[in-house]
Amino acid sequence: MAIDYQSRAQSVLDELAQRQTWRFRHIVYIALAAAFLVWCADGVDLRPAEVTRAIPIIADYFGRMAPPKWGFVETIWQPAVETLYVALWGNVLATFVGLPLGLLAASTVTRSGVLRNGAMAVLNVLRSISELIWAILFVAAVGLGPFPGALALGMNYGGILGRLYAEAIENVDKGPIEAMEATGASRLQVILFAVFPQALPQFVTYNLYWFEVGVRSATVLGMVGAGGIGFELITAIRLFEWREVGLILLFILGMVTIIDFASTFIRSRLY
Amino acid sequence: MLMTASTKTAPIVLSVRGLTKSYGNDVHALRGIDTDVQEGEFLVILGPSGAGKSTLMRCLNRLVEPTEGKIFHRDQEVTGKRRDLRALRRQFGMVFQQFNLVKRLSVLTNVLTGRLAYRSTWRSLFYNFSQEDKRIAIECLARVNLDHKAFQRADTLSGGEQQRVAIARALAQQPSIILADEPVASLDPKIARQVLTYLKQVSRELGITVLCNLHQVEYTREFAERIIGMSRGKVVFEGTAADLDDEVLHRIYYRDPDEEEDQGR
Amino acid sequence: MNSVTFESAVDAALQREVEVRRRRHLKLAGWALLAAAALWYSAAQIKLSPAALVSGIPFMWDFITRLFPPDLSYLAVLGDATIETVQIAIWGTLLAILMSIPLSFLGARNTTPHIVVFHLTRLLLNALRAINELVFALIFVSAVGLGPFAGVLAVALHATGMLAKFCAEEIEGVDKGQVEAQIATGASRMQVILFGVTPQIIPQFIGYAIYRLDVSIRSATVLGLVGAGGLGFSLIQTMKLFKYHQTATCILVIFLLVLVSDWICGRLRRKVI
Repeated sequence: MAIDYQSRAQSVLDELAQRQTWRFRHIVYIALAAAFLVWCADGVDLRPAEVTRAIPIIADYFGRMAPPKWGFVETIWQPAVETLYVALWGNVLATFVGLPLGLLAASTVTRSGVLRNGAMAVLNVLRSISELIWAILFVAAVGLGPFPGALALGMNYGGILGRLYAEAIENVDKGPIEAMEATGASRLQVILFAVFPQALPQFVTYNLYWFEVGVRSATVLGMVGAGGIGFELITAIRLFEWREVGLILLFILGMVTIIDFASTFIRSRLY
Repeated sequence: MLMTASTKTAPIVLSVRGLTKSYGNDVHALRGIDTDVQEGEFLVILGPSGAGKSTLMRCLNRLVEPTEGKIFHRDQEVTGKRRDLRALRRQFGMVFQQFNLVKRLSVLTNVLTGRLAYRSTWRSLFYNFSQEDKRIAIECLARVNLDHKAFQRADTLSGGEQQRVAIARALAQQPSIILADEPVASLDPKIARQVLTYLKQVSRELGITVLCNLHQVEYTREFAERIIGMSRGKVVFEGTAADLDDEVLHRIYYRDPDEEEDQGR
Repeated sequence: MNSVTFESAVDAALQREVEVRRRRHLKLAGWALLAAAALWYSAAQIKLSPAALVSGIPFMWDFITRLFPPDLSYLAVLGDATIETVQIAIWGTLLAILMSIPLSFLGARNTTPHIVVFHLTRLLLNALRAINELVFALIFVSAVGLGPFAGVLAVALHATGMLAKFCAEEIEGVDKGQVEAQIATGASRMQVILFGVTPQIIPQFIGYAIYRLDVSIRSATVLGLVGAGGLGFSLIQTMKLFKYHQTATCILVIFLLVLVSDWICGRLRRKVI
């Protein structure tokens, strides 16, 4: 019996050895990948010498941020709250932009292929252009201040949310839709009573998540003059006021953490 | 008759003394287990779900820390220092209800994980095993007749085959005892018999003691050499399949062991 | 006798239902009112009003007309910047992957060596996540000078926070049975992580890393606004010089780049998962 097992094992072992030998093409793949990465690293000035030089300098800069300059709180309190307002309204505007477009782009709601593709194309444009570029455009159009910031977030996140809404609508359970259609309900009734109730919790989850992301984005909109704490940040960095920078970073961290907790709490209540 | 005579002379491989396990103050999973296991026997622990069979098994290789009591494996105390735990666990192969194969690894790699405790962490860092380990693993696979599927991903196998791979993994540890925790509870009857047959046959060939948790009486009658009946954290029966009559089954499955004690007094 | 009690039970249930519904409506109305008030107040604070938007439309229109037509001859100049953007994203993501492997194991409850290490790691990851790439880029540009190198570091740090937190949560969610089986064989902690945990999270990790590469490309397009390399630099420069036709070309290239990367990364992800 035992001999039988051993000879059977030998044939599997042989196959294993064959499977594990390195083929020439494996070596070629790895060499090509390595060459590509080296080329990329060279393009972005990422060299070992550069990195070893940079690390102590960066550590030193972060070191200069401690201790934070607590007196600066008075100055940044207002812009910090403004950041939240911008994120909040950005989210609301994004819903206004994303919801109609998302409905148009969803095959369960819109029958016309032209309309659907058109809506998808608009969403893609909105989505692909970063909120900062939108902010630059809106600042140029309506002037400095938090208002263009909220508009910019509304555009970019409108595109993102719109696509997510469309996906959520398309992925709802088809059963209730069929049942509703069977009762002779109109299209609008089907959408209102069979599609929306199913997709709504998903919508709220997306909105909450992108509000969190929006707060983080809103912290930098001020760099291009679109309101919020980013303006104070860029000024402090330009003036080499590192302890003020430290305080602003702490503020951002605090804000984001609080909102993280709040949104986790709301989401847990949602289901 | 012959069988009982031979088991009586066999040395004791595992002895459990006064084993209790409580969670908090209210939940008592095990309430004073005393038993001995003889070398090479196929012992079935029979009882309804929630009787503490699973907890008992996990105490034996200390996946669960017992609250009180002692366990001895041959002359070594299982409930001793944690330092010796790795070497000790090597002696206990384990087979689970849900198979617990690492689904994304190949069948062979899954069996090879049975060899991990024999090798240092650094040697296994890049998933390379010695030639000897590989040979042992493939032999174990051949014993459960799955050597032809060695290079498939574990989750492509059927439930029965996965459980046989799990048996091979336990064998690869070269253990003295295999702990099988409801090994066939998620399998249909035909496959279940097949898996139990493999388990019994292989352990016989290699002289490994098997402790097997079951809740089905029919499989117990068919495969057990000796039976321990458990109910609510206590041993309420010890004997062979022949002793397993209606009264005993009633004691295991329906009667509260505490009530019985009260009546006894 | 029986039917009487049955009917009164139905009546009581109906009454309760009305009450429950009224209470729920009141609660909803309260929340809606609160939300409306908050929105109203914040709108006033940031001077957001439909009137401002309407009065801004002519300016916006004027600005948009000045962007058109995009100056296509400028495309040739943007080639290098486009390649640089992609290179920044690739190395930023790669460094993030390397850094997030140890951090995600330290930051997961079931693999961390000590609970203090767990909390410290999570704190670090939260900080990396909270701070935008652009903020990091600004600081690094001050520290190591203008150029794509600062951009790579900025992308790497932020992506590390995102990737490691995601991965840590995946590690906490692995199937415990497969892990228990490894512990039962007598494997060491490290071996359990290698053979029981890692295989379970690898596909999700790769999928998220690819998604992160997509996001990093998007971020890298704007890093140039603060001088950290890539397309954003050309964008802001042409704007400062009022060469709006060239700005439009930059926006067009950014749009196309993001679209292509979105498409490629989407396909790659579907292949992995």
